[in-house]
This record gives sequence, structure tokens and C-alpha cells, in this order.
Amino acid sequence: MTTTAPKQGTNLLYALIAEARGYSDAIILGRGDPDFDTPPHIIEAAKQAMIEHHADDVPPEGLLSLRQAISERVKRVNGIEADAETEIVVTNGGQEALLLMVLTALGPGDEIIIPEPNYNTYHDALKFARVNKVSIPSSAETHFRTDPEKVRAAVTERTRALLLVSPNNPTASVIPQDDLQALIGVAAEHDLIIIADDIYDLFIYDDYKHVSPASLPGGKERTLTLNALSKSFAMTGWRLGWVTGPADLIQRTKALKAGITGGTSIISQYAGLAALTGPQEPVQMMAEAYTRRRRLVMDALDDMGIQYGIPQGGQFVFADISFTGMDSAELAQRILSDQHVLVYPGAAFDKERGQYIRITFLQPEDKLREGLERMRVAMKRVLGSG
Amino acid sequence: MTVGTKKQIVEQHQKNVWLNSAIPAVTPVGAQDFSADGFYAPLDERIIASAAEALEAGQTHYVDVPGIAPLRQAIADYLNATYGTALAQGNVIVTAGAQESRFLTIQMLSEATGKIAIPSVVHPGVLKAIGVRPLTVTPMAVDSRLLATVESIQAALEAGNRLILLESPSRLTGAVYDAATVQAIQTLIVKYEATLIWDQGFAPWVTDYAAAKAGEQVVAIGEAFPGSGLSSWFIGYIAAPTALVPTMQSQKQIMAICTSTAAQYAALEASKLFGDIQRSQLQRLQAARQTLAGLLQAQVEVISGAAANVVAVRLGGGQKEQAISRLEAAGYRVSDGAAFGAADVVRLSVSHSDAAETAARLVQGA
Repeated sequence: MTTTAPKQGTNLLYALIAEARGYSDAIILGRGDPDFDTPPHIIEAAKQAMIEHHADDVPPEGLLSLRQAISERVKRVNGIEADAETEIVVTNGGQEALLLMVLTALGPGDEIIIPEPNYNTYHDALKFARVNKVSIPSSAETHFRTDPEKVRAAVTERTRALLLVSPNNPTASVIPQDDLQALIGVAAEHDLIIIADDIYDLFIYDDYKHVSPASLPGGKERTLTLNALSKSFAMTGWRLGWVTGPADLIQRTKALKAGITGGTSIISQYAGLAALTGPQEPVQMMAEAYTRRRRLVMDALDDMGIQYGIPQGGQFVFADISFTGMDSAELAQRILSDQHVLVYPGAAFDKERGQYIRITFLQPEDKLREGLERMRVAMKRVLGSG
Repeated sequence: MTVGTKKQIVEQHQKNVWLNSAIPAVTPVGAQDFSADGFYAPLDERIIASAAEALEAGQTHYVDVPGIAPLRQAIADYLNATYGTALAQGNVIVTAGAQESRFLTIQMLSEATGKIAIPSVVHPGVLKAIGVRPLTVTPMAVDSRLLATVESIQAALEAGNRLILLESPSRLTGAVYDAATVQAIQTLIVKYEATLIWDQGFAPWVTDYAAAKAGEQVVAIGEAFPGSGLSSWFIGYIAAPTALVPTMQSQKQIMAICTSTAAQYAALEASKLFGDIQRSQLQRLQAARQTLAGLLQAQVEVISGAAANVVAVRLGGGQKEQAISRLEAAGYRVSDGAAFGAADVVRLSVSHSDAAETAARLVQGA
């Protein structure tokens, strides 16, 4: 089966996902959906909520008890002080949080500086908001570092915001504290709002350290931060996330939330409450598994002679396939058609990143090994015929 | 520090009257709350069992953007059987509630023109959805039941609008268009090659309902299987012609990826029980509404409406503010029609099973 996939963006990913569904033996190393199911104690809490709270009132900003738990979480994990009453909005997952942050901070014709490559739906959200992006390219040679001086040089009179995703998706790079403080300095100098995405903050490797912009001096008053339970508690299907930020901006976020979806499912909110206040061992168990799998992927790529940025965090590796002479969309299509392994083409994240592919490690180790072995076969064929 | 950017954002936000409009809650808080869009309904244990079973079976992951296939089919089947449409599964997008349905249809179907015509009296959620990314709005005049008139719809179309939003039943008064008027509206929509967003969320609480179904030009929206106890779970639908689905589906991906799986599996079970649920709820609501309207009629003008879940009354000459504040002081909540665009109207939702008895006390108190 072959399809003519569009060449970039979310549509490209969905075309590949659709094709992968047609293969009974497909191994998915593309989508950011953990293979783990949601921990049982969270499901139990959801079942209890169905009995006891199914008809509770749901304010657009979310249940106060959940916002209090989020407030405690962001203080404990991220060092962010967020008032539960005025500085937190609960969302339908990180995706709605992302759109809300963009719409809160930016209007038509505004500019936002984005270190590239970046998560593809940021581009879609900016398009919806009619916002112009100014890209700051990065590469595997520098492990996709965001250079504060390049950001400073990109600021124009129309620049209103700076996007900082750490660990980054798809590059898995983590912004070091020194760079982050310098980036906050640039934002302060030019009076920019920082849009921060902390969704992978619990998955950090080696000696790298995740720091939230809102936790650093000068950061909190100008930073909107998103997070969600999708990745940390394997809760992608529950659609539960949040935005924290200064009360004056969050007031707008709340109004936008009311206009977009009105509220967030009561059952997901109680499930989220159980996740944040219950046992945290499942997160640790998943983090340990990802650490082992990351090593597997890095070793396999080393064997294949593929260069990549060291994944400092996250659940994926962004690998440079320029040596194949193929565009990433074409290569991803070849690997999928030939070996039924789905990896994401870099072109889906940034049209200028056509020389990269993203490989997630969200499969059990045996399946991951098989997927990587099949990918090796596909790469040999590609290079043999290329 | 200087944060001029924040100041600008706040100032611009404060000027956005649409986005700052008040919006009713989806679920009532207690028996004295007559203000919510939804009403209290028990949750059948089979719905709980089904949702729990799905979660335990590992349905905790992303699902398809437009919704799980069996639920999309169940919604299509229900709409086809009830309103005589000819929808397939692919015509249905499962949403995270009625507000997401409003947002996706209003914002994505107006992309080409940046314009929409709406009744001058409409659910404030419509205004909020418009305020997210402001559009050029043509208000359409309403009749005594606060439904947009056919003349005003025609005028809006003649003025170049190609996207019209109508509610039937009205979310404020419960009034509905009769079959002949629906036909006249559809004829206009077809003639002007326009698209009609048809909010039929309250339709299950009407007998003899006339739905709009002008082939390729009507997009129906509403709550999925209301009255099943799922108001706070946020589950709704968009039923659209095939050609209009991709743009809304794409935006759904951008804004939420998919709708909560627990809510979808619960709604799927609700679809199997809905025949009985709808019949019994309608009967209960009709009886409660009749009592409530009877009590109110003795004192104030009750606006003619057909949906059994709401009663709207007209209170002119400053009476409304007095009544609302006295009710609030006594612990009762009602919806101020001003949020809908009707300054002299109050809406009372038939929210709880003892709504009529509570209303009797309310009327005596007021």
C-alpha cells in the first residue's frame, strides 16, 4: 500500500498514521502516546467520581481542588508559585493549553520567536491566531541549543512573545539554566511574553536539568506555562492539562477557555486530582523504562551511522538523515511502506527540517528492538538503492 | 519592571465585549439553581459500568480526532432516526460539549468570509466563540418568541452573509420554528448558497420538532444524548456535510486532539439507553414546566416556548433586576436574559426533579 502524503505539517503525520493502521504488524515509533496504560489508582478514582461527582458543577477554569493540586505540583516540581484561585486554568490536555496560551498573548499581525524545529501544532495554532512566526533554526551539531543572542537579534518592533519548549519536541533538547536566564533577560529587555511548554519536565536524562522560566528571576510575571498529564501519567486519552501564569493574563486565558470548550470533563478532572495527589511511583517506573529505551534507540542509531542530537529529555530522538540524500517525508514513507515502521518526518515539524526524523521510544523494549531492526533493514535498502 | 505588552493585552481583552459576556453553567448547583443550560439527571449504572470497563481495558490513549467510530455512528443513527437526516459516520465529529461545537463551526465555517449572521437574542456561548477571534457580525431581528425572523434571515443573506447561525429551540425561551418556517429558511439558505449552523441542543425536550436538513448546507450541533447525566462530562456533536468536515476536524486536532475517551464510551452506552431516558425525562420536564409556567403566569408574562427544559418570562420596567436580586438573596439562581441579548427576560431552567415544588416557593418568595 502506498499513499501520496502531503509534504508537511499535521496533515503529513495523519496521512502516515492512516497508512500505518493498514498494516497489522505495524510498529509505531512516531506518535507521542505512551504505550503504558493509565495507572490503576487513577482509573479507580475516575470510577468513584462517576458515582459521586458525575453531575458536579464545572467552572471553565476547572475544579478548585484540582487547581490547588496543580499549584502544589508546579511549586514542588517546577519552583513556580501559582495561586490556585487566580493563576491556573485547567484545560482539555496540553493541546488546548497551547492554543489558549497563543491566543492569550498574541493577536493578528503579532510576531513570536520560535526556536526551530518545534512541535508542529504550534505552527497550526499560530496560523489560527493569524500570528507571524520568526524562526530561530538549530541543528544536531549543537544538540539543538537555543542561542539567546540569536533570539535577541531576531526581535523586531512587532515581536510580542518568545516560545520556549524544554525539553523540546521533537529535538529532545533541554534549555540550560544559564541560557534560560539569558533568554528571560532578552524577553525583559524587549517586553516579551514567554510561552513555556514544560510537558516533558519529568523525563530528563543523564545530568541534564529542567528549569521552568517562571521559576527564575524576572520570569514569572511574563510567563505562561503549560503542562499536562498525558505524558507523565500516560493519560493521553483523558485530555487534561493546565496553564499557569500571572493573574492578569490568566483572566484572559479563562475567558478564552470559556469561549472555546466551556469546561473540562469532570471525570478527567477527578482522575487528574488522583494522579497529582496519589502515588508517584508509576511516573518513576515510566521514567526508568524510558531511560533504558533511550539507550536502545541511541545504540541502534549509532550502529546505523545516523547522527542525532543527544536526547536530553522527552520521549524521542531527533535524527539527522541528510546522508541518505532523501527528504524526511520520503524516507519515513519508505520505512513505513517497506518495513511497516512509523517514524515521523522532520518536515512535519518544520518545513526546513526535512533532513531529520523523530523516533519515539514509546513501545515495550522487545517491540522497540524489533522496530529498530526493521528500520535498519529499511535503511540498508534505501542506501543500497540510493 | 515595565510590562507594556501585558497592559496592552489586558486593555484589548477588556474591550472584547463578546469574549467577556457571561455564560450559563452546564450543570445546576443544587435544587435552587434554575440558571444552568443542562439539568440534573441521574447516571445510569450501565453507563458507569461501560465507561469503567473501557478504561480498565486500556482505552486511556488518544483516539481518532473526530471521535471513536461507534459513537460517531450512534450519533448519526440517532439523528437520522429522529430528524430524518441521511448522515453517515463520517459526517459526525464528536466534540467536548456544545461550546466546542459552537466554536468549531462558527470559527472554521467563517474562515472564507470572516462574517456571520446571528439572532440578536442568542446563547452567550455564541458571542464568546465569536470573541475568541472576532468576526464581523450581522444581528438578525427576532420575533416575540425571540427567534430570528425569516425576513431578518433573508436581509442578512441579501447583505452578503453566507454563514447563518440559528437556534431551534431557542436556548433562552425554548421556542421552535414550525415545519413551514424551517422549510422557508432552508429555501433561502439554498438560494443564497449559504451555510446554516443549526443549534438543536434542546430539541430532545420538544414534541413535534422540525429539524433543518438542507443537504449540503446545514451543520447541526448540540449536546450528545442530553439528560443522560453527562452534562459535566462535556460531550457534544457536529453533524456536517462531508465537504465541511475536514476544516473543523483539522482545527479540533489543533485545539484538543480528541475528546475524553471516558466521556465517549459513556456517551456510547447512553446512546443505547437514550430512547427510554429521553421519554422519561421529557415526561418529567413537561410536567415540571407546566407547573412552573402556571405559577409564573399568574404574576408575569411567560414567553411562548416549546422546549420542556426552560421557561422564559418577561419582566419590564426595572422589575427584572429587583426580581433577580431578591431571588439571589433567597438563594435562588436564574439566568439573566441580558446575557442572551434580551434585557427584560429571565430564563428559568427546569433543573431538578423537584423543580416545580422549588419554583412554587420561589414564586411565593419573589
